[in-house]
Amino acid sequence: MVVLKMMPIATARAIRAGALAAALCFTAAGSAQTQKPIEIQAERFTFTPSKVTLTLGEEVQFRLTSEDTAHGFRVLDTDINVVIPKRGKGEILVRFKPEKAGRYVFECSRMCGAGHNFMRGELEVKERRQP
Amino acid sequence: MAPPTALQRVAFGSIAVAALFWPHLAVAQAQSEPPPPQMISGYMDFHLNKPADQPGVLDFHRFVLLFSHRFTERIRFVGELELEHAFVEGLEEAGELELEQAYLDFLLKRSFNVRAGMLLVPIGIINERHEPPVYNGVERPFVDTVIVPSTWFEVGAGVHGEIGTGWRYRAYALAPLNALDFDAEEGIRGGRQKGSQADVRNVAYTGRLEYVGIRGLQLGLSGWRGESSFAVPRLDTTVGIVEGDVRHRIGRLETRAQYAHVFISDTANLNDSISRSTGVSPNVARQLRGWYAEAAYRIWNAGAPRDLVAFVRYENFDTQFRMPEGHLPLKEFDREAWIAGLTYYPDPDVAVKIDFVQTNNESGFVRLPRTLNVGLGWWF
Repeated sequence: MVVLKMMPIATARAIRAGALAAALCFTAAGSAQTQKPIEIQAERFTFTPSKVTLTLGEEVQFRLTSEDTAHGFRVLDTDINVVIPKRGKGEILVRFKPEKAGRYVFECSRMCGAGHNFMRGELEVKERRQP
Repeated sequence: MAPPTALQRVAFGSIAVAALFWPHLAVAQAQSEPPPPQMISGYMDFHLNKPADQPGVLDFHRFVLLFSHRFTERIRFVGELELEHAFVEGLEEAGELELEQAYLDFLLKRSFNVRAGMLLVPIGIINERHEPPVYNGVERPFVDTVIVPSTWFEVGAGVHGEIGTGWRYRAYALAPLNALDFDAEEGIRGGRQKGSQADVRNVAYTGRLEYVGIRGLQLGLSGWRGESSFAVPRLDTTVGIVEGDVRHRIGRLETRAQYAHVFISDTANLNDSISRSTGVSPNVARQLRGWYAEAAYRIWNAGAPRDLVAFVRYENFDTQFRMPEGHLPLKEFDREAWIAGLTYYPDPDVAVKIDFVQTNNESGFVRLPRTLNVGLGWWF
C-alpha cells in the first residue's frame, strides 16, 4: 500500500516565528523518525536524482522542491500525484512505502515546457537483503 | 489512539495560526491536491528594442500555446503552436505562424522511447529550453540564433531515453537543411525546411547526449549531419554541426557556456550555383562558429517577488569563419557582443527583463548600434 501525506513546509523566509518552529518540531517528533528522507529537485526538464533505489517495505519521505516553475510529481501505478510548488514557494513532502519490488516510473504531471515529456525518473524497489 | 501531548497540541495550533497569517503556507497546502488536468499551457514575450540613434520598436515577439494529451500511459502527444510578431501577412514579412512541435511519444521504457512528428532539433541550450523565464536577456543569445538556428524544428522520428543515473540521449532522423537558402549573415538559418512539405530525398541525423546526474550541473554534447543540396543534385553539400554546452549553478551563481561549430562542404560550387540562378553570390562560408559564456548572480534571493538576477554575457560568433577557395570573408559578420542586464521575477513564471547590448564586428565600415532592450515574458 502506498501512504501519501503532504506537509507544507515554509521557506526560510517564513521561518521567523516560534509557531512555525513548533510545527517543524512536531513533524520531526511525530512522523519523520522512521522515514528515510530523499530529496528530489525538479527543474526544466529533469528530476535530480532521476533514479532512486529503495528497499521493499522501507518507508521513505520524498522532499520535493523546484528550481523554477511548478512541476508535477506522479508515480505511476500508485496514487501519488502532487504539485511541486514553484521556486521559493515551499516544498512538498510525500511518504512512500513500497510493498512490491520492481520499478516504478515517476514523471512530471504538470506541463512545464517544451521538454516536458523528458521529465521522467525511476524508483527501483529491491528486496530486503537477508542478514 | 493516544491523546495528543502538550507539544502536539501546541504544534497543531501553531500550524493553524501560521496558515491563517501566511498565504505562503496556504498556497502550499492548496497545491498538495493532485494537479488538475492541464491541456493548454504556453509562454509569451514582448519586447522594446531601442537601438541608439534609431527609433524604438515595440514587438509582441512570441505568443506560444502548448497542447498535450495522453492517449494511454505510454502514448502521449505534445504540440506547440507559435505566432511570432503578432501578425501574419504572407511570406514572413510581418510575422510567422509556426508549428514548432507536434509529436507522439511512445514511452516504452526508461532507456528507450520512440518519438515521431514535428520535433525540436536537440542542439544547444536554448533550442529545447526556450521559455522566457529560463534564460537571461530580452532576446535569445546570438549564437543560438545565427549559428544554431533556434527555434529549429523539423519533421522526422527518433528515439530518446535515459541510461544509468543522469545520462540522457536523443537520436533523430529529420528532414535536412536546404543549402540553397544559406547566406553569409545568418549562415544555415534560412535553410530550415520547418516541416513544410519538406524534401526528404536525403535525411539528416541529429543527436544529443546529456549528463544531468548532479544537482545544478548539466552538460550537453550535440551533433547534426545531413546532405543539404538535394535541390541541385550535382552539388555535394553536406552540413555537419558539433556543439557542446554546460550549465552550472552553485548558491546564487549560475554560469553557462556553449560552443557550436558548423561545417559545410562543397561551398565553392554552392555559391557558384546560387549566384548563377540569382545573380548574387551568397558568400556561404565552409565553416561557421560561435560561442558564449554567461555569468548570472541572484542579487535578491528571498524568493518571488523578491527575486532579482543580474547577468553578463559575452558572445563571439562568425558566420564567415572559413571561406571556400576564391571567396573572401565579409568581416561585418565576424561579430562579438556584450550583453549585461537584469531579470526580475515577481513570480517564478514571470520575468521582467532589461539589458544593454554592445555589438561589434571586424569591419572597418559597418558599425552596429548599441541597443537597449526591455522585455516581459511569462509562462503559464
